[in-house]
Amino acid sequence: MCMEKTKILVCLGTSGLSAGAADVADIFEKELKRHKLAGKYRVVRTGDRGLFRDVLVDIVAPGGDRTTYEYVKGGDTPKIVEQHLLRGEPVKELMAGEDYKQFFAGQMRIVLANCGEIDPENIYDYTTGGGYKALTQVLAMPPEKVIEEVKNSGLRGRGGAGFLAGLKWEFCRAAKNDVKYVVCNGDEGDPGAFMDRSILEGDPQAVIEGMIIAGYAIGAGEGYVYCRAEYPLAIKRLEKAIEQARKNGYLGKHVLNSGFAFNITIKQGAGAFVCGEETALIASIEGRRGMPSPRPPFPARQGLWGKPTLINNVETFANISHIITKGARWFASIGSENSKGTKVFALAGKVKNTGLVEVPMGTTLRQLIYGPGGGMLHKNIGFKGVQIGGPSGGCLPESLLDTPIDYESITQTGAIMGSGGMVVMDKLTCMVDMARFFLDFTVSESCGKCTPCRVGLKRMLEVLEEICGGKGLSGHLAFLREMADAIKDTALCGLGNTAPNSILTTLKYFPEEYSEHIEDKICRSSVCPALVKFEVAQNKCIKCGRCVNVCPAGAVEWKKKEFAKINKDKCIKCRACINICPVMAIK
Amino acid sequence: MQGLHKYLSCDGDKMISLTINDKKIEAAPGKTVLEAALEAGIYIPNLCYCPDLPPIGACRLCIVEIEGARGFPAACTTAVREAMVVRTDTPKLKALRQNIMWLTLSGYPGEPEKSSQLKKVADYIGIKEMLPGFVPRPANIPPLLNEPFFVRDLDKCILCGRCVKMCGEVRKTGAIGLVNRGIKTIVGTGRGTPLKDAGCKFCLACVEVCPSGALYDKEKIEEKDREKKLLPCVHGCPAGINIARYVRLIAAGRFQDALEVIREKVPFPLVLGYACNHPCEEACRRGKLNNPISIKALKRFVADRDTGRWRAKLAIAPDTGKKAAVVGSGPGGLTAAWYLRLAGHAVTVFEAQSEPGGMLRAAIPAYRLPRNVLKKEIGEIERVGVKIRTNTAIKSLDELFKQGFGAVFVATGAPAGIKLGVPGEDDPRVLDGISFLNAVSYGRKTGLEGEVLIVGGGNVAMDVARTALRVGAKKAVILYRRTREEMPALREEVAEALAEGVKIRFLTAACGISAGKWKLNVECVRMKLGEPDSSGRRRPVPIEGNNIVIKADRIIAAIGQKPDAPAEFGLAADNKGNIQADAQTLACSRPGVFAGGDAVSGPASIIEAIQAGRKAAASIDKYLGGKGEINRKFLPEDEAYPSLGREEDFCYRERSEVPVIPVSRRRHNFKLVERAFGEKTAVAEAKRCLRCELRLKISKAPLPPTGQCDNCPT
Repeated sequence: MCMEKTKILVCLGTSGLSAGAADVADIFEKELKRHKLAGKYRVVRTGDRGLFRDVLVDIVAPGGDRTTYEYVKGGDTPKIVEQHLLRGEPVKELMAGEDYKQFFAGQMRIVLANCGEIDPENIYDYTTGGGYKALTQVLAMPPEKVIEEVKNSGLRGRGGAGFLAGLKWEFCRAAKNDVKYVVCNGDEGDPGAFMDRSILEGDPQAVIEGMIIAGYAIGAGEGYVYCRAEYPLAIKRLEKAIEQARKNGYLGKHVLNSGFAFNITIKQGAGAFVCGEETALIASIEGRRGMPSPRPPFPARQGLWGKPTLINNVETFANISHIITKGARWFASIGSENSKGTKVFALAGKVKNTGLVEVPMGTTLRQLIYGPGGGMLHKNIGFKGVQIGGPSGGCLPESLLDTPIDYESITQTGAIMGSGGMVVMDKLTCMVDMARFFLDFTVSESCGKCTPCRVGLKRMLEVLEEICGGKGLSGHLAFLREMADAIKDTALCGLGNTAPNSILTTLKYFPEEYSEHIEDKICRSSVCPALVKFEVAQNKCIKCGRCVNVCPAGAVEWKKKEFAKINKDKCIKCRACINICPVMAIK
Repeated sequence: MQGLHKYLSCDGDKMISLTINDKKIEAAPGKTVLEAALEAGIYIPNLCYCPDLPPIGACRLCIVEIEGARGFPAACTTAVREAMVVRTDTPKLKALRQNIMWLTLSGYPGEPEKSSQLKKVADYIGIKEMLPGFVPRPANIPPLLNEPFFVRDLDKCILCGRCVKMCGEVRKTGAIGLVNRGIKTIVGTGRGTPLKDAGCKFCLACVEVCPSGALYDKEKIEEKDREKKLLPCVHGCPAGINIARYVRLIAAGRFQDALEVIREKVPFPLVLGYACNHPCEEACRRGKLNNPISIKALKRFVADRDTGRWRAKLAIAPDTGKKAAVVGSGPGGLTAAWYLRLAGHAVTVFEAQSEPGGMLRAAIPAYRLPRNVLKKEIGEIERVGVKIRTNTAIKSLDELFKQGFGAVFVATGAPAGIKLGVPGEDDPRVLDGISFLNAVSYGRKTGLEGEVLIVGGGNVAMDVARTALRVGAKKAVILYRRTREEMPALREEVAEALAEGVKIRFLTAACGISAGKWKLNVECVRMKLGEPDSSGRRRPVPIEGNNIVIKADRIIAAIGQKPDAPAEFGLAADNKGNIQADAQTLACSRPGVFAGGDAVSGPASIIEAIQAGRKAAASIDKYLGGKGEINRKFLPEDEAYPSLGREEDFCYRERSEVPVIPVSRRRHNFKLVERAFGEKTAVAEAKRCLRCELRLKISKAPLPPTGQCDNCPT
């Protein structure tokens, strides 16, 4: 019986694959065969778990006992097979360390529960874990009841704006039309955010089940998953999952032999950030240029091909089956007053553990960063800020670290929840440069339709470039403030409305950095090349000599037990020394 | 424009009351706040709004404040709701608009043109300096000058998106779209291909709606002659036939409708279809793209298919008891007679010749205009009650007035040939062209033989040469003092003459004629082209000492005609013999006498004569107590079909030339040379039309109020 087998989980998402997980899994199978263990063990190729430790391998005994190995190479597998599987002695040196445990300890995994645990290409893995139970349950309920349940759960859309999912469903249900659509927004555009990809790669059936339930609830017979073409693995697994769901009767003309018909089509997007905006997404699915249109009409009334359309994000759909099976009350018990359930964040930047973190709403930023995140990467270089919500989000200072993560609290700070990007920055990050960086992104991702976003962002970027380049003028700050507000107030879509956030929040929380750049021509983080002198502060230098080793131009002069000195004629201003210096001695 | 039901969801059809700037107004459901405001005389600045387009919402200038609504919604994309309270002019809104306008102009090279909507809106909003020392940063894209008809100066584009919407959603052509993203967005074609290859149909709707001067006509168009420039075929037609409309009807397969459109303006669709000199084709805009629509052939196509359906719609006014006389039964006279009769007057046409038709009968050879065709059309005129008295030369107008005619239209044409004015032209073997054609037409002997030399470069010269070959000449040589370029004869007439064996000696002028032993010796001077003259053509200049002598059996002068109205008419005439008449009313020096056509203008075209007849009819009707309204309305205005659709090879479709019968089958007889289009060819040819009329139907964008008035929001 396959249930009895011990599972060898190999994390094989996009990141696992790039670290060589495919080889590891293959070698495991070969080794098992060689040792005639194939009957006792089963290699499960899972999605990623969210924490990157190159190749992660778990040995899970039928009872649930598990040993986790990290940084596993192909060459390590014979050892694991011989030592652990044959002799029962775990390979100590490969076992996951404290960081790994800390990363998962502070999390509450609902949406990500299956990621890294089941084979996404095998529907039975999903169903044996309770998958499609919710759908069976739902088909026995009147659609209104399903919507009631989702409403009661308090689930809010995970795409960014946090609109109540149940309410959206209700609007779609109320819209009178024979044809309606369900669209899953998988156009994950925030740089560094990859929760949607991981869910699609690790647990595609959960998304499909959520969509089918939504279709049943609102009265739609067709669904689209809009997924960017840069996610080939997600698309491949989704295709397989849809195929399997169809073969097993979850999709098709008679879903689970009921009178309800539902089908799902995958639509690949070309990776424009703005296509995550729902009206632009609709345009893109229809084959038009991905450009937002004014709302109203809202898609719930007039969406894809002019029909009522329910658009929810991947993570939102992945929550649905849990809400149905465990109940709205259970879901509503998690999280804060107005934001229920959990939220997945893509934690990145200067923290020890980067990856996908799922925490209950209401968790504070500090708990997240110093809990699963493991604190700052470099102990000596302190925390400066955290950017939440991707390029449209905002940057919050240390004083706001105790802000609970929920839609209202985050919005109050000037940032946005967004789809869950979170970049932690230490003191080596220049806030002006950071604002410039995110603005650069939105400038090139603006669709170009409305004037404030298209031109306004560009003009602001030009000014920021001047400030970073040491040409800042005193009038620049007033201009940035006025223009940022104007764009926020007048841009056509969410992209433009939120694009000035990074400037507005850095102006609000780090005004001194701007004035230093403009008035004193100093970049305190030594990031803006035009404002860095490339001099070693002797009172700080610890004479370690790391800067010498890293300098590609041979510009650093240093002898043992002496202060380092930078020869400016040779220096190419690459900032390698600044980044390596453990004490920020180079300015 | 219909309401925006299509674009904005709305329920019911009850009028909606709302308040804008404390003014209570009503609006139809589905209207946008912007439309409701504009209708109520409240201007909200806008640049991407166009009444004919679905809302775009790109320029963001029409932002407003609505009680209870978040932020600053754009008025152009917000539907009116019951009890809505809107403000359009708060200080905050004004400031935001200044911000946006600053941005709009921050990439604009220099000042927008004064007449542009952009400039007017910018002036209205007021320009604020946001960044000290800021110099606008255009993208420095060189203007695209090589496209037909218009220039695309993308630096001046403010990306309002109207042109793209027009092309894509109204015309459904989709030749242009937004290319690239963000600040690099431009309006362009896929891969930057020329418009011709992008499916552009050159309807110029994009140019029409451009508010910023980024798209502009190569030919400058003043507001006063917009229609003339934009719809050149209709305005190129002296009689103002709605060519654009009937060509479109042919394209739609509605041939009888097309004929009725022609008949709304002229009673001679057949004659024109066979023998018009088609100034419309010279004006046709498609000619600038590749070659003009074969309008004349299309007219013949529908005229040939006349089922007479129009007759049922022809209303003849009740008899007025007034009598009008028309002297001369050429196209002008008969046209006047037709309309005067339709106005209820009793009309008699007097014709000196034995058959009616004037020059149509006398000067246009039967191989171009068959006699039965002419007869048929004149028959229609007689059918409504016009009396034509042939063989009746009028000597005195007093006579006519005595007979009880209340008014007389003198349309005696220009039937007298002009002499060459060279020594020796009194030889009986020297003839004049018009008399020659006249003689052939009426079956009189011409005694033509041997080699014939024709002098002149007009259509008459061609007709004479071709006719000469048909009635016995062995050889026909045309002498023309300039080159083919400058020839006034129609291109196709010259081509057919050459095909039939007529020779043309260019840059040659006769300067003396002497009788040789058997033949005439014609001394000719060789010419070269000098500076352009008043007609714009280069003046021929004799080359001294390079004379040649050409021998010929006959010389026919076809260098022009002049009127020869009897002096007894007592009408003032100029030194060329042209009767003097008022340009507008055609009234002559004598009360009750009107004159028009060749008799007034000197030799011109059929269609010009027809127009003179139309004018005369209107004036005379008024003179006789009528209203002077002669235009007919046979066909109600169609619904606007602003859509053109997409056809990849549209710009490359070549003109269907009029088919002709082989030279061997026509050289020595008067068989009709030109054949008619088949239905397929005609429809395909009509479909080549650029539909210039569509541009004129585009609604104007609302402009800011200029002066101070009650409705000014300031």
